[in-house]
Amino acid sequence: MKPWLPLLLLLLLGQAGAAGDDVVVIGNSGLPKTDKITLQRLYTGRIVSIGQQTVMPVNLPAGSPVRDDFLQMVMDQNEEQYTGYWLVRRYVGKGSPPKELGSVDEVVKHVIATPGAVGYVPVSKVPPGTNVIYRR
Amino acid sequence: MQKRLLNTALLTLLAAMAMPAQAVDLTWSGFGTFGYARSDQSFNYQRFIDNGGTVKRDTVVGAQVDARFSQEWSATVQAKAAPSDHSDSQWQASVAWAFLSWRPNDDWLIRAGKIRLPLMLNTENSDVGATYDMARLPLEVYSIAPTTDVVGVSISKTWLGDSFDLVAEAYTGETSTYWRYYGRDRTIDNANSPGSWFLPIDMKSSGLVLTARSLENTFRVGYHEGEASRPGEKTGAGFEYLNPPGLYRLLPGGVDKLRVPILTLGASVMLPADFRLTSEYAKAKIESASRGLSRWGAYVALMKRMGAWTPYVYYAKTKSTDGALGLYQQINANAGAVPAPLRSSQTLMADLTSPYDQSTVALGTSFWVTSKSVIKAELSQVRTGIASSFVDAPAGSDSGNRHINIFSLSYSFSF
Repeated sequence: MKPWLPLLLLLLLGQAGAAGDDVVVIGNSGLPKTDKITLQRLYTGRIVSIGQQTVMPVNLPAGSPVRDDFLQMVMDQNEEQYTGYWLVRRYVGKGSPPKELGSVDEVVKHVIATPGAVGYVPVSKVPPGTNVIYRR
Repeated sequence: MQKRLLNTALLTLLAAMAMPAQAVDLTWSGFGTFGYARSDQSFNYQRFIDNGGTVKRDTVVGAQVDARFSQEWSATVQAKAAPSDHSDSQWQASVAWAFLSWRPNDDWLIRAGKIRLPLMLNTENSDVGATYDMARLPLEVYSIAPTTDVVGVSISKTWLGDSFDLVAEAYTGETSTYWRYYGRDRTIDNANSPGSWFLPIDMKSSGLVLTARSLENTFRVGYHEGEASRPGEKTGAGFEYLNPPGLYRLLPGGVDKLRVPILTLGASVMLPADFRLTSEYAKAKIESASRGLSRWGAYVALMKRMGAWTPYVYYAKTKSTDGALGLYQQINANAGAVPAPLRSSQTLMADLTSPYDQSTVALGTSFWVTSKSVIKAELSQVRTGIASSFVDAPAGSDSGNRHINIFSLSYSFSF
């Protein structure tokens, strides 16, 4: 057996695992299920509520692969487009982008503990009993 | 007024601090443009651009802090440093924005404090070069409103649609600003040398703006009603021709305030193959002695995004009313007919009419280094018709029938 084969196998499995780990959107308990259009509006600051409940979305930092997946899957945008959108919106005085948390674990903890909080995480990181409000 | 603005900023912060005690989410951001522009003419265009080159036309740095107290309440303060709006030789640090925002639900947004007005498509973000592709927003259109900021209140209502969001924004407020004048042979105070001076003006302004916006397309129409007055003085008196001695002079008297109605229209649409077409139009009417301030301006720009590059071309034009340009021509012609010692008094009267008749063709490109920083380069040619008050005409001459070639290079960033 070639010595590099296990390493290649590991890399391929890793890639397959990442590709299969869909991003889902979680919300604090009590928030209703929602749809892609609503999330697009929420993460672009055009709405501040879901189903009459005030919500506060959080983001992962730019460069996070999970954020990239979320932007692609839900926002139909890439990082450049999303950052560019908020750059203009901030400087026309219509608000600032969602607060950024440093890691997936922080997002999970924040969303579970904060009324109205909404965030996105890989499906594999969703603790049992968490309120998943959107999945593809 | 600076004191009042400072108070507004402080009040905004104090009001913000008086919000229900919650974790405040503070976000700092900064922006800037370092711009160089050079023309092929020895006289100044747009206050600063000549054949010696300048960094004063486009350079600006600023910082903004957004404080979010909850999803409903937030406050924003923006400060900037740029060439002064009331001196051609000084720089000025100022509070550009300072307002408190209340967003009770998805549809309503109420802002109070120092706000920038939704005049043209990029008026609100005009200081932040990293938010648009053109090296310089077409002055023919973006200079028409006498002021872009007020201390007041803005209320906007949004109707969310499947493809477009419709936003209606009403505002009212007041501010103190300056109108710049340039006398090619003499100023209002100094009969012996040419130069600029800045007339202090108090402005009240109210307006209603409708914007339809999708992620790719924007349409905007606005009507703005301004009221201009000079602190402690009357304004708006016209000119009279005294014969003998055959001279124009300013009429004494005038009115306490001038009505300034402004109409604005704008559209920016995405076309196939990543082309974007943007066009804006504005028209203002100001019945002052400076009749040339009653003018229209328009431009059409075509740009195409090609990876990091966005080349563009635009054509812009502005023109004062025929009556204003006719008056300028009469007085200017009279300057050539009177004895030499009296000539400067007549060119001063002509310059006071503030005539505008010029067009610009520009070819440029932006290169996006990152999504928050951009390098821009532009070549433009300005052609003046009867006259243009954007040109500081050389002594003994005038601003009509000039061709000015301008090269601009800038780097804009935000963080």
